[in-house]
Amino acid sequence: MTDIYTVITDFNLVPLIPEIFMALFAMGLLIVGVSQGNRSTSVICWASVAGLAITALLIMGLDWQHKIILNGMFVFDEFAGFMKLLVLLGLMASLALSVRYLAQEGIERFEYPVLVVMSGVGMMMMLSANNMLTLYVGLELQSLALYVLAAFHRNAVRSAEAGLKYFVLGALSSGMLLFGISLLYGFTGSIDFGAIGASLLAADSISFGPIFALVFIVAGLAFKISAVPFHMWTPDVYQGAPESVTALFAIVPKVAAMGLLMRLLFEPFAAMADQWGQIIYFLSLASMLVGAFGGIAQLSIKRLIAYSSIGNMGYALIGIVAGTPQGAGAVIVYLLIYMIMTAGVFAVILSMRRNGAAVEWIGDLAGLSKSNPVMAYAMAILLFSMAGIPPMAGFFGKILVFQAAVAEGYYVLSVLGVVSSVVAAYYYLRVIKVMFFDEAADPFDGRTPFARRAVLLISTAFVLAFILKPSLIVESAQSAALSLFFG
Amino acid sequence: MELVAVFTPFIAFLVVGLFGRSIGDRGAQFITCAGVILAALASVVLFDEVILKHQAYTTLLAPWVVAGNFSVNWALRIDQLSVVMMCVINIVSACVHVYSIGYMSHDPAKRRFMAYLSLFTFAMLMLVSADNLLQLFFGWEGVGLASYLLIGFWNHKPSANAAAIKAFVVNRVGDFGLALGTMGVFLLFGTIGFDAIFEQAPTYKDAYFTILGHDFHALTVICLLLFMGAVGKSAQLGLHTWLPDAMEGPTPVSALIHAATMVTAGVFLVARFSPVFEYAPTALMVVTVFGGLTAFVAATIGMTQFDIKRVIAYSTMSQLGYMFFALGVSAYGAAMFHLVTHAFFKALLFLGAGSVIHAMSDEQDMRNMGGIFKKIPTTYALMWIGSLALAGIPPFAGYFSKDIVLEAAWADHSWFGNMAFWLGIAAAFMTAFYTWRMLLMTFHGTPRASKKVMDHVHESPPVMLVPLAVLALGAVFAGWGLHSGFVGSAHHGGVEEHGVEAVHHEMSEDHASGERGVGGHDTGDQSVTKQIAQNIEVIEHGIKAAENQIIVEAEEASYEVEAWAKENFWQKALYVLPENDTVEQAHSAPFWVKKLPLLMGVLGIALAYIAYMLLPALPGAVTRVFRPIHTLLFNKWFFDELYDALFVKPLLDMGTIFAEKGDRGTVDRFGPDGGAALSQKIARGLSRFQSGYVYQYAFTMMIALIGIVSWFVFRNGQGF
Amino acid sequence: MAPQDFLIQYLPILIFIAVASAVSAGMIIMSLLAGPAKPDSEKLSAYECGFDAFTDARNKFDVRFYLVTLLFIIFDLEIAFLFPWAISLKEIGLFGFWSMMAFLGVLTVGFVYEWKKGGLEWE
Repeated sequence: MTDIYTVITDFNLVPLIPEIFMALFAMGLLIVGVSQGNRSTSVICWASVAGLAITALLIMGLDWQHKIILNGMFVFDEFAGFMKLLVLLGLMASLALSVRYLAQEGIERFEYPVLVVMSGVGMMMMLSANNMLTLYVGLELQSLALYVLAAFHRNAVRSAEAGLKYFVLGALSSGMLLFGISLLYGFTGSIDFGAIGASLLAADSISFGPIFALVFIVAGLAFKISAVPFHMWTPDVYQGAPESVTALFAIVPKVAAMGLLMRLLFEPFAAMADQWGQIIYFLSLASMLVGAFGGIAQLSIKRLIAYSSIGNMGYALIGIVAGTPQGAGAVIVYLLIYMIMTAGVFAVILSMRRNGAAVEWIGDLAGLSKSNPVMAYAMAILLFSMAGIPPMAGFFGKILVFQAAVAEGYYVLSVLGVVSSVVAAYYYLRVIKVMFFDEAADPFDGRTPFARRAVLLISTAFVLAFILKPSLIVESAQSAALSLFFG
Repeated sequence: MELVAVFTPFIAFLVVGLFGRSIGDRGAQFITCAGVILAALASVVLFDEVILKHQAYTTLLAPWVVAGNFSVNWALRIDQLSVVMMCVINIVSACVHVYSIGYMSHDPAKRRFMAYLSLFTFAMLMLVSADNLLQLFFGWEGVGLASYLLIGFWNHKPSANAAAIKAFVVNRVGDFGLALGTMGVFLLFGTIGFDAIFEQAPTYKDAYFTILGHDFHALTVICLLLFMGAVGKSAQLGLHTWLPDAMEGPTPVSALIHAATMVTAGVFLVARFSPVFEYAPTALMVVTVFGGLTAFVAATIGMTQFDIKRVIAYSTMSQLGYMFFALGVSAYGAAMFHLVTHAFFKALLFLGAGSVIHAMSDEQDMRNMGGIFKKIPTTYALMWIGSLALAGIPPFAGYFSKDIVLEAAWADHSWFGNMAFWLGIAAAFMTAFYTWRMLLMTFHGTPRASKKVMDHVHESPPVMLVPLAVLALGAVFAGWGLHSGFVGSAHHGGVEEHGVEAVHHEMSEDHASGERGVGGHDTGDQSVTKQIAQNIEVIEHGIKAAENQIIVEAEEASYEVEAWAKENFWQKALYVLPENDTVEQAHSAPFWVKKLPLLMGVLGIALAYIAYMLLPALPGAVTRVFRPIHTLLFNKWFFDELYDALFVKPLLDMGTIFAEKGDRGTVDRFGPDGGAALSQKIARGLSRFQSGYVYQYAFTMMIALIGIVSWFVFRNGQGF
Repeated sequence: MAPQDFLIQYLPILIFIAVASAVSAGMIIMSLLAGPAKPDSEKLSAYECGFDAFTDARNKFDVRFYLVTLLFIIFDLEIAFLFPWAISLKEIGLFGFWSMMAFLGVLTVGFVYEWKKGGLEWE
């Protein structure tokens, strides 16, 4: 009974203000939308972007000192703050990309931006979780919104299929996660991160119980970041979901899930670094190889990006394998760069329309260098960056994680990473080859909307300019990562 | 000022190279010419500052490579040696740029040509103003690149492409030596900055490299490696085969790159490293022997060639030989002197030849020329000046420089010095012979070209003749003007100086009248003969007068002359051990040594005149009698054939084997091709695995989960 | 705590079960004895929300049934939350009160959405 009273004394909601604001904002939009009807979709979209921007400002206004509130349910520190800003940035980009697309596809429904913001609330909760309950509630809030979004084009068979697959497999992964949590509760007697960590640390040796729990929990989260072998849904869902949703999937949830995974592994499971190191090592290696080889045979640019994202998660995991603050910082930088590059690439993919319908085959890009040279060159730069060719930003993302891994003696993993990045370069370069050297196909429809051009140019500029002052981002990411390790 | 002198051509190159399309042909020509002329003016100002006012300095531009204890800067080393080179490069280059406007007027790719010329000029300037071996190497490769581009400029001609590749590849051999030499320097001195190297050279004079258990004198090894680079770039015997082929390039290119500047980079390199070479006597001996042999062999080949440009090319090679044996006997000043005078008269000859070729509708074979002196009198006169300078007839530039080179070789009193001296004397004779052979075959006799060509023969436009005239001024005055400074002595230089001045004074009058005579030619060959005889007479007269002057004014070796002596001129840019100062000793060479080159020149001219004017049957007869020798010479001593059999063919065969069996059969099959095929196979397998059925996906997830759990059970092997 | 004590705590539940069983059994027996029995096919078939229970499962079926069911479940759950909350409100205080208000607020927003969307109208 005493517990309840401590909750009440710990009734400090200040670090929670951004989430509260966002949730209220989403609900308000829902009411406005339902009273105005689908005509208001684009207004609500832009309003959502504004709301996300305000949330970001609120986060920046907070005190970034390490703080645990609501009796250990919720944590806010530099890491959470930094990752939340990343998530919000990604959400804004994906919403900005979506506005015109929804109209073009005839799925202009006001629920879309509301769902995006809702999933955003879930991601923010994930990043601030300090208790398995918060973790689960945040994760499910995010996932449920995404399931709906995947099937958003409900008259298209592919989209419905994608939504269903995602839902069924997501439910399976949630089941694994819950089972892992229950096992962990059974063995450590708590669902609080701090208590779990203390209990594991106090144990003389790690018994199989927590290891099982760890395996199940990591498997559940690996599904969310589509790490091999829990990646099977990715290509199908990416291909089936509406393009704008695919963009969202590729850009944002992975950042949140990766952040959650990092907090989980570095904080409560710190004592089991030896064990989770092996799991993550395997996931990372498998993801890199499957991402590299799987992409080679793809003809659809959306499936290609799916494999690319699988591979990229593999590289990001390398930084976690290293298990050092340096590695964690590298992961954050990697995610940031990956997010921005992907947003730019999707700005191009969303513009692939011919005769009023979206086209998705790589061959459809042929001759883009003639019909729309600016877009073709921007795309080429982004793809070069994804392939990790200096001096683009993507190169630095890769080299940072490899450095972190090499510093800890993971030579084999690093070398295989480099090898797979060479293999993966093939399919990026193939797209460039198609754009520049293949016989021209018909040009794409109409002018690119302003928001898409803006996203494309900003991301290209970032990719090119990163080399000028990498320390700007790398140092803040490092200090965010440090907060994971030393409070 | 040094920035202007070095970087204006580069800026011009960038502007024309990048924006050529928008500024047009005229604009490109204007920008490049203006750039180089500006650079030439700047280098003259530098000449005044550095040499007359003795203010050598180094300008630091930017750090380049900093790695551990190895650090290299971009810097411009402005001392006497580099300033002399910069003056030569920029002035000759400016002439060539302007000349090219006329010469290339029918070519569609004028902009590209002008851009390349400017690029070359910049690279050459970087080379001579380098402050360390790496920057020198940068310029060295830069001129190599520009040379490659320009030789192959007419890239629709297979022979031009082949020549360009040959030049590049043969130079690579030498560059390899230079690179090794640079590494050797770093190994020994721990730095590749010039100042540090030259300062430390004496302390390492007894150092040894141990290679494969043998000890080698370190400085000798380094010097020989550096010299290997020089041999390649300066077309010395062994690596010379690219130079004649390089004549495939447009004639202005031949004049600028393959006569006046790039090929002298080797001479510059050795002169620059004089403080090191001085402590490596063996290396100096090698340099002398190479130089002497080159001078001789090239001259013999030159006598038998029919392509007008090839004749001049072989003569270039021969003159480079002179420079090298001068270097070899420590007469660095003399070598540089010959370099400068040679740059002027050889560029003049080349551009004159270009003017002839231009007039003859791109005909280069002298057997198809003849009898055109009346139609192109200005070119004819200018060619005469160049030829006189080349043959070493006073008071033209070549006379002074060739004499001091030969005297220095004699004054060395070593076996190789003597050898070089006699080879040089022989070469001097042959030089005069083939030069006049060329003049006579080209301009005199009965016209051998088709009537159509003959009707079309015309004088070149002023834009081509003005640069020729500028170079002619150099060919006339560079000799006596620079003599005392480059090689003069505080004790004897004054005497020479005054004597020379006297000679010049008389000569300029006579020469002027002679030129008038030549210019207003209308009485045919007979009068030419007379003219030549008259010239020779005048020359003899002048020399006699000079002798008298010398004796009379010997007493008056005056203080103001002292300022012009070589020690003052070069300051620390050239370094000669006191016991090696052959230039100093050369001034006291006996009379016959001093006069022998001139005599040889006159004899050569006379022989050529007899053979090609008086007894036209003679050359044929000689050829028949000495057929084996002629065949040897005509085929350039079979160097190309030898190299083909020795290197090219075996390497080509080996390359074919490696390409087919090694590369395609092994590396490709198991490397890229195999890897690519394997990747495709894996990719196809993976996409088959991606069936689209949810139950299979779920199954995969469960299997993976079980797999990971099993891993921990079996790997860690603990019980529950 | 001895095992007996532990079980004693569950004694009220046991009593409840017994009472509930007795009451419901009594009701069934009473209706069997006292009620009129005129069976027909409609009365004897299993009750399902508006469709035949014994045909192929892959049948077209009005989705609105599910909508109504979902709505019902949501509000059912709401009631399930409200009961313990109401009982323990004194102990969980202001924090508990506002927590439930937040929950109800969210639920209300959903309800408004559904109403406006026309989810409650059958036709």
